Amino acid sequence: MNSTQQTARVGLFFLLGIALVWVTFETLSDGKIFEPRSHTLIAGFDDLRQLKTGDEVRLAGVRVGSVQKTRLAGRHAEAVLEIDPKVPIAGDATATIAMSGLIGGNYVAIDMGTPGAPALADGAEIKTLTTPDLNTLMSDIGGLGKQLQESLGTFSAAINGDPKTGGGIIQKLEKILADNTARLNATMTNLQEITDKINRGDGTLGKLVNDPKLHDELLATVDEIKATATQAKEFVANAQSVMDQVKSGQGALGTLVYDPKAAADIKASIADLRSVSDKLAKGEGTLGKLINDDGLYDSAQVTIKKVDRTLDGLNDSGPITAVGIVANALF
Amino acid sequence: MSAETTEANCSKTRNPFTGVEADAVSVRVDGLSKKFGDLAVLRNISFDVKPGEIFVIMGPSGSGKSVLLRHIAGLEAPTSGTVAVDGLDPTLEETRDRVRLALVFQEGALFNSLSVYDNLALYPREHRSGNEMAISERVMHALKILSVEKSANQFPSELSGGMKKRVSIARALVMEPQLLLYDEPTSELDPVMGATISEIIATLKNEYSVTSIVVTHDRDLALTISNRVGILMAGKLISLGTPGELRKSQEPRIVDFLNPKIDIEHPRFKQLETPENP
Amino acid sequence: MKQINAVLEGAGSMVMLLLRAGSYAGSLPRQWARFVEQCYLIGYTTLPIVTILSFFIGTVLALEAGYSMEGFGAKEFIGSLVGLSMARELGPMMTSVLLAGRVGSAITAELASMKVYHEVDALTTMNIPPAKILVLPRLAAVLVMMPVLIVFANIVGWFGGSVVARYVSSVGISSESYFAALRHYTKFKDVMNGMAKAEVFGFVVVLVCCNIGLNTRGGPREIGAAVTRAVVTSLILILILDYFVTKLLM
Ligand SMILES: Nc1ncnc2c1ncn2[C@@H]1O[C@H](COP(=O)(O)OP(=O)(O)O)[C@@H](O)[C@H]1O
Ligand SMILES: [Mg+2]
Repeated sequence: MNSTQQTARVGLFFLLGIALVWVTFETLSDGKIFEPRSHTLIAGFDDLRQLKTGDEVRLAGVRVGSVQKTRLAGRHAEAVLEIDPKVPIAGDATATIAMSGLIGGNYVAIDMGTPGAPALADGAEIKTLTTPDLNTLMSDIGGLGKQLQESLGTFSAAINGDPKTGGGIIQKLEKILADNTARLNATMTNLQEITDKINRGDGTLGKLVNDPKLHDELLATVDEIKATATQAKEFVANAQSVMDQVKSGQGALGTLVYDPKAAADIKASIADLRSVSDKLAKGEGTLGKLINDDGLYDSAQVTIKKVDRTLDGLNDSGPITAVGIVANALF
Repeated sequence: MSAETTEANCSKTRNPFTGVEADAVSVRVDGLSKKFGDLAVLRNISFDVKPGEIFVIMGPSGSGKSVLLRHIAGLEAPTSGTVAVDGLDPTLEETRDRVRLALVFQEGALFNSLSVYDNLALYPREHRSGNEMAISERVMHALKILSVEKSANQFPSELSGGMKKRVSIARALVMEPQLLLYDEPTSELDPVMGATISEIIATLKNEYSVTSIVVTHDRDLALTISNRVGILMAGKLISLGTPGELRKSQEPRIVDFLNPKIDIEHPRFKQLETPENP
Repeated sequence: MKQINAVLEGAGSMVMLLLRAGSYAGSLPRQWARFVEQCYLIGYTTLPIVTILSFFIGTVLALEAGYSMEGFGAKEFIGSLVGLSMARELGPMMTSVLLAGRVGSAITAELASMKVYHEVDALTTMNIPPAKILVLPRLAAVLVMMPVLIVFANIVGWFGGSVVARYVSSVGISSESYFAALRHYTKFKDVMNGMAKAEVFGFVVVLVCCNIGLNTRGGPREIGAAVTRAVVTSLILILILDYFVTKLLM
């Protein structure tokens, strides 16, 4: 090879190098070299949270694109989604920001929408739904934990408030129970309803718990439980004299309330409940995972089934033991 | 100022190519000793080479001739004693700037990555003596003198030992040296080429007053064209004189060295005899 | 003691050689042909091996990143990991290591053989300083060629990572999200940082290899020993300098 050829090659090589340096510079300083041809959708959210450029867009869990850009638009934030042009997105599909992992892995989840709906055009806005994020979830659970603690306090007051009661009149007690069957049944029905809802719930447990409607119902239930407990207290007070005559209890409730072993069980159950509520109040650890992890969601479902079974056998063992079982099953 | 300096002013080196004249160069070696580690290679050597003189150094191989030449060329620094070229220390760059000095290496020392032509053209190009046309003329002229012009575009690895030696001498000539040091210039050459080299050395002296120091085993070269001959043995200069003085010398080592006789009875030949088979 | 002396001597002669070569910097335009030849050897002929190696470094980085990040669902960050490690560390480092192995060894072998066969002595007697025509063009060429090699190494390495990210099913992220993450976390500053490193490494490699070559003493056997010494010294210096240059550039 002669030297002019060599010079030419070196020159070409050098110029190519300079060109590549320039390309690198342009690209890394927000150039548009790697932008692929595709179809974009605009998704507006109040808060994009951890969502960033390059995060995936999934349609029913299948990756169909990525977040091209995030920007502010007036009083809310917008994510520009790059979607594979071969995948039509239904006009009534909704986009939500979902988490794929514990550390930062966010993606935009789009549902299928209704079958016949017309596809969204390039550059169209997609409907969005804001789901609670981890932080809101945690504070809500904290609040719930406090309420649970309060109501459990009421429970324990109802049960421990009559230490000197005697035995003998099971019949009367049973009569009292019989008199209140309707109310108890109502409570049970409410509980049943809640668990049914839990079972039906297709989202995560976190979503379920935070759904405002269900949340309200749960609060209502708790109120009812509170009311029931108050009434139970009254009954117990009324029956104080009768109770004095009862030395040793027989039958379901009698055993439950007066048998020393049963009393110990109750104490244990209450202690369990306390630790439950403590953990809830802290709103950390396992519950955090529970809320974010599909696998844990499954085991939660199993737990809920156990709760169901427990509630079925409530007539035999009573509500408090049932709560104890629930608590043990959960934690 | 010494007598040599005065003499140097009288004789001028004429550039064989440009005809430009410069002072002829003298060399003085004074009490030079060299040790490589514990090995004493040169021991207290002193001599002067007058400007425009042909000085021949003879001696058996391993006696330190090459090392001595390297000292004069400034490639080695003395362990003790001094070497002066035109009164200057040859190891310094300033000396080389002032005195054009060429060394014909024993093994040629051609630049293997350059063609024969580029080997010769390197010096004039680097020192910007003339345009490429003038350089080409000079290079081809020097190659012709040594009869290697046909090898101009070959590479050193493609040449025979004798051709390398000739190219190496041609490369020295292109440098238009004031002082030319030859390390066994005729050792690998046929007798005709050897005679040519002797002629070149004589011509350079007679017409251009180039000072030459020639290390050689060539008795004819030493005794015909030289002004003075020094004999080096085991690092010592054992004799120094004109060729006539040398021929008349009775010193046994010199007589032996100049007139080697094959003594078949010498014990070292006995060793070569084939032992009789039992 | 002897070793310490040898190290100090090596460092001293290196500095001397650098100063000497630097003092002839003005002669560079007249040495254009030599400079271009060295550019050709250092840059052009080294490019194929640099690209092949960088490609596989990129793929391995992506593969390892995919493997280790999958555990906590951070696969989207593969692009940033490959981008940054290639630009800031592995590109300059591996290119310099290749330079030491491929170019440095050749430089030492050439200069050592020139020394052993008295070519360097011939230059000295011709009053042509070896530092000027043997060292200066090489130093200048490595300074010019290193950024070019690095930019090739980076881009090919990034591309290698994207291939793994896209086509290896255990990693399986799209090229867009790979490059988006790469672009998001890798700034041009990081690339410049890597180039500055590479300049230092390349310059030192060439200087060390020239110095060891020119200081070779003895016969042809020493050429091999000199090459080994030059490559080992270069690699050690690259690793040591890497720490300090990284620190300095932070
Ligand atoms: N660089 C060197 N290092 C060590 N010893 C050397 C060196 N150069 C030459 N010698 C030794 O010096 C002696 C003289 O060598 P030299 O001058 O080449 O001999 P000659 O007279 O055949 O040219 C030899 O014994 C040789 O081994
Ligand atoms: Mg010799």
